[in-house]
Amino acid sequence: MTPAPLVLDGLVVGAMLFALGLVGILARRNLIVMFLSAELMLQGVSVSLVSWSRHHGDWGGQMLVIFVLTVAACEAAVALVFVLQAFARTGRLDSAAWQSLRESNLPRVVDHELPASDAEALQFPRLTPAGVQPAVDEDEALEREHV
Amino acid sequence: MTPDGGLSIVGTVLAVAVGCAAASLWLLLPRGESGLRERAARRFGMLLGAVALGLFVATGHRLGGVGEEATFLVVSLVAVIGAAATIVTRSPVYSAIWFALALAGVAGVLLVLGAQFLGVATIVVYAGAILVMFLFVLMLAQPTGMASYDRVSNEPLLSAVAGAVLLGLLTLFIGRLSAGPPSCCAVPTKAAALAGANRPTNESDEADAATEPAAADTPNTPALADTPPAASSSSPTTRRPSPPDMLARDHVARLGGELFGRHLLAVEAAGVLLLVALIGSIAIVSRTPPEERLEARPRRASA
Repeated sequence: MTPAPLVLDGLVVGAMLFALGLVGILARRNLIVMFLSAELMLQGVSVSLVSWSRHHGDWGGQMLVIFVLTVAACEAAVALVFVLQAFARTGRLDSAAWQSLRESNLPRVVDHELPASDAEALQFPRLTPAGVQPAVDEDEALEREHV
Repeated sequence: MTPDGGLSIVGTVLAVAVGCAAASLWLLLPRGESGLRERAARRFGMLLGAVALGLFVATGHRLGGVGEEATFLVVSLVAVIGAAATIVTRSPVYSAIWFALALAGVAGVLLVLGAQFLGVATIVVYAGAILVMFLFVLMLAQPTGMASYDRVSNEPLLSAVAGAVLLGLLTLFIGRLSAGPPSCCAVPTKAAALAGANRPTNESDEADAATEPAAADTPNTPALADTPPAASSSSPTTRRPSPPDMLARDHVARLGGELFGRHLLAVEAAGVLLLVALIGSIAIVSRTPPEERLEARPRRASA
């Protein structure tokens, strides 16, 4: 069992994660999903760095991954604050809601025909109601003596 | 099999795999469709994605034995499938859950690659802290039902093609690293020969890495070098006395020694960065425009 195949396969897996993250950040419009895609790209880079660390037999790649983790934590904190602020201003998590920030010579993103409702995606399983609903004294429920 | 023939076959399989991956991503990404068409497209896309993954496995795992390789195969499949599901799932909450699965796969990959501490840290930091933060923000900011912008994408075809082209270029590059002057099928014997040739120079380190004999061969991988003589002459000089040995008992201790020894300044800088990010996020979140202060205040308090 030579380590070379594992190193190469680690590089391939890192490349796949990075490419998937790139597709996600290019295609998706939800801000949260875009940040998840950015984290996926960071994961791909981490896997590549650890593979190179294994290949070279030193700690350099693993050190870099530790700092990637640190920077990812900082980035997530600041980015999620921005996402919360953006949601507070527009009420949507849509990146296209901020397209007034685009360059003046770029065309506007227009949503063409959307499906009216995605009813089948919102079907969750429910328990059938059974028995008799007990009478609840609301005042008593609010003032409990023991919890 | 001649090297050229093997490379061209591998290249063809790789091209088909990349094409299948692009088509599968395009079919799976939300494109504003609904109903039967969408379901059919998703089924076909999943089928194509499975075909692409199988082809990638066929190109990537032509060397080595079972054991470590099989574990790596399983965890990397978990990571890649979780990542693909993260970016194609409509609901962002499910997307975050799939991302957690992808993180578990990545942690497994790091463990197999010999980075125990990083595998555990990935689970703790990402799945334990960052992902929970994402879920909290989703809980605070997600409108009821599925939003319209979750059911359409920006240019799904172009994005999938861009990702596939990038992946194809990267894997082609990695494949060229692995090919080198000897043919792909002759690599194990070549590696054994080189390891035998290099063994006298590595004798002092072998006692260090005696717990895992495979680790002694780590810098001797001729497949990643352009010419085998260069590899055999350069690897003893670049060899560090403490390779990341998976089975060494003091793996984490050595990692910590390296981190707080050679990289002490970087650790301090990372601490400053964390502090700045903390203060900055608090400063940003507490600054709301006056006209929206009433609306934003409960959200700010709960954030």
